[in-house]
Amino acid sequence: MRIAAPSVRTRLSLWHAGVLAIVICFFSAGTLLFVRARLYRALDEQIGQDLATIEKVYREETGDLGELDHRMGMTLFEVAEGQTVIYRTASWPPPATRPYRTRTSVDATHRISVARDETAVRQTLWTLAVVFAAGIPCALGLAMAGGYLLAGRVLAPVGAMAETARRITAESLSARLPVDNPRDEFGRLAGVFNETLSRLEAAFEQLRRFTADASHELRTPLTGIRSMGEVALQRSLTLQEYREVVASMLEEVDRLTRLVENLLLLTRAEAGRIPLTRTVVDLCELVVSVADSLRVLAEDKDQELTVQPLAPVTARCDASILRLGVTNLVYNAIKYTPNKGVIRVTATRSPAGEAVIEVQDTGPGIPTAHRERIFERFYRLDSARSRETGGIGLGLAIARWAVEANGGRIELESEEARGSLFRIVLPSS
Amino acid sequence: MRRTMRVLVVEDEKKVAKALREGLEAEHYDVRVASSGEEGFFLVNHEAFDCVVLDLMLPQRDGLEVLTTLRKRGLQTPVLILTAKDTIDDRVRGLDSGADDYLVKPFAIPELLARIRALLRRGRSDQILKLQQDDLEMDLMTRKVTRGGQTLELTVKEFEVLEYLLRHLGHVVSREMLTRDVWRIAARATPFDNVIDVTIARLRRKIDDPFETKLLHTVRGVGFVLRRDRG
Repeated sequence: MRIAAPSVRTRLSLWHAGVLAIVICFFSAGTLLFVRARLYRALDEQIGQDLATIEKVYREETGDLGELDHRMGMTLFEVAEGQTVIYRTASWPPPATRPYRTRTSVDATHRISVARDETAVRQTLWTLAVVFAAGIPCALGLAMAGGYLLAGRVLAPVGAMAETARRITAESLSARLPVDNPRDEFGRLAGVFNETLSRLEAAFEQLRRFTADASHELRTPLTGIRSMGEVALQRSLTLQEYREVVASMLEEVDRLTRLVENLLLLTRAEAGRIPLTRTVVDLCELVVSVADSLRVLAEDKDQELTVQPLAPVTARCDASILRLGVTNLVYNAIKYTPNKGVIRVTATRSPAGEAVIEVQDTGPGIPTAHRERIFERFYRLDSARSRETGGIGLGLAIARWAVEANGGRIELESEEARGSLFRIVLPSS
Repeated sequence: MRRTMRVLVVEDEKKVAKALREGLEAEHYDVRVASSGEEGFFLVNHEAFDCVVLDLMLPQRDGLEVLTTLRKRGLQTPVLILTAKDTIDDRVRGLDSGADDYLVKPFAIPELLARIRALLRRGRSDQILKLQQDDLEMDLMTRKVTRGGQTLELTVKEFEVLEYLLRHLGHVVSREMLTRDVWRIAARATPFDNVIDVTIARLRRKIDDPFETKLLHTVRGVGFVLRRDRG
């Protein structure tokens, strides 16, 4: 069985306490060693002094060793010459019941040994050790409690954020996390989270609009088919009239089919399920062939459709997908430009080495307010008019996909009442 | 008169099956309908057909599975599959399983008929040098079109459309067929219907307007047809 990972707060306090414990232990051990060394050195110095005094007294006035003994009190000593003991204090050798520190000075003729009781030193060290042993756990306990409280306070915004975030669903995407201080770590986290929420909200909004638009676009022909069928069955019609009804129904079916195909294409494209076959394509050739295929439409409206210049411009792309995009742009240009207008299509290489296709018309232009959204699915400048002209509002969305799938970008320059310029920019091959 | 061609339709959707049967019978085919893969499999094994129209999404037994088994048994009959899936993978899988052609739903009956005609024509030498309807004549070698002895000046596309219509003489040709076969554009999302309408209008102006008998007719909601009678 695995133990569940403790909370961040607990882990923080534990880490904090652990590091503190190591630091305190090292510090205490160091202190003990240092104090011990100091105490023993002091003791050793005293013993050394004793030794010197005894030696001095012994050399100068042997007889006074007894008095010295008396004066020195706690210090035990023995002075011997060869095997002969000259003087030894009453309790020599030092009793084994108490710890003594002994030092002996030996030269050719005699030997002086001094012993001092080190109980006091040991007691001091022991006391210190006991103080440490009792104090460290207490200090650690306090530190842990403090750390736990502190971590709790520091982490409180994270908990609040989590709680707020949990309440945000697809329905309440407009809610945002509170940002106390946008410059600290949590503030930045909340900021990033809020940005993500904004993008998500925009995406959801677009999806919602798309769903509404799509269902509207799908329902319109369905309603047509249904009502035509119902009305036709209510009355007795002549064969010719029935033919008319069925034909209109088929026209609506056609529109529905085209709509579904376009939608499927876009959906697949968005899911990245349309494989691209990239080859080196001469854009000039492509543009000429697109213009030629649509030329009859321009001629029908007395428009002038020109392609220039005719020098090869190559780019690495999927020819059929790019062709679809360019076709949509030229088709739109012809559709929205009034009779006798001019449509100019060019394929050139920019100074930066990018391949550029431009489709310029002398149509009504696109008002600034619409320019951002014109590439969105089903977005129309004037829905009533567009539906009459038979569009389904997906041409530019498909054009944008066709260009972006090929690694390029699509730009729009437009002046109201003067015309529009759609520019496809593809990376150099 | 050749014998009646027998076509087996394997389709579980009743309405579609009925429409297919009626559409094919109107073209004088002898039609059998199977509503499941099992039934289709049984019929193919017990009767002789000239062509099989096979839906891929079938209850009990998947269309591809039926097809694979039939081909393994050495069945040579041309098979046209109907599918609602139109990704390249699906098409490749269908053709790899032994299908001779495929059609994506929703399809137009005129197109299905044209495909079946093409499948049945397969293998026969088809070296036509001249196409003709009434006094309208097309010479495929010199690429000259005349009506009533009068030469007509057609553009390349107009010529190709007329050739296509003449090759499908008496049969309706849909806009989709023209887009794909004459303009050779595979992407179904390409906005080409207007181009076709304008081209047809111009063609009509050249081949029909100056003459008494109209040959090129629009079948509203379906497509175009070249024939003598009313539209």
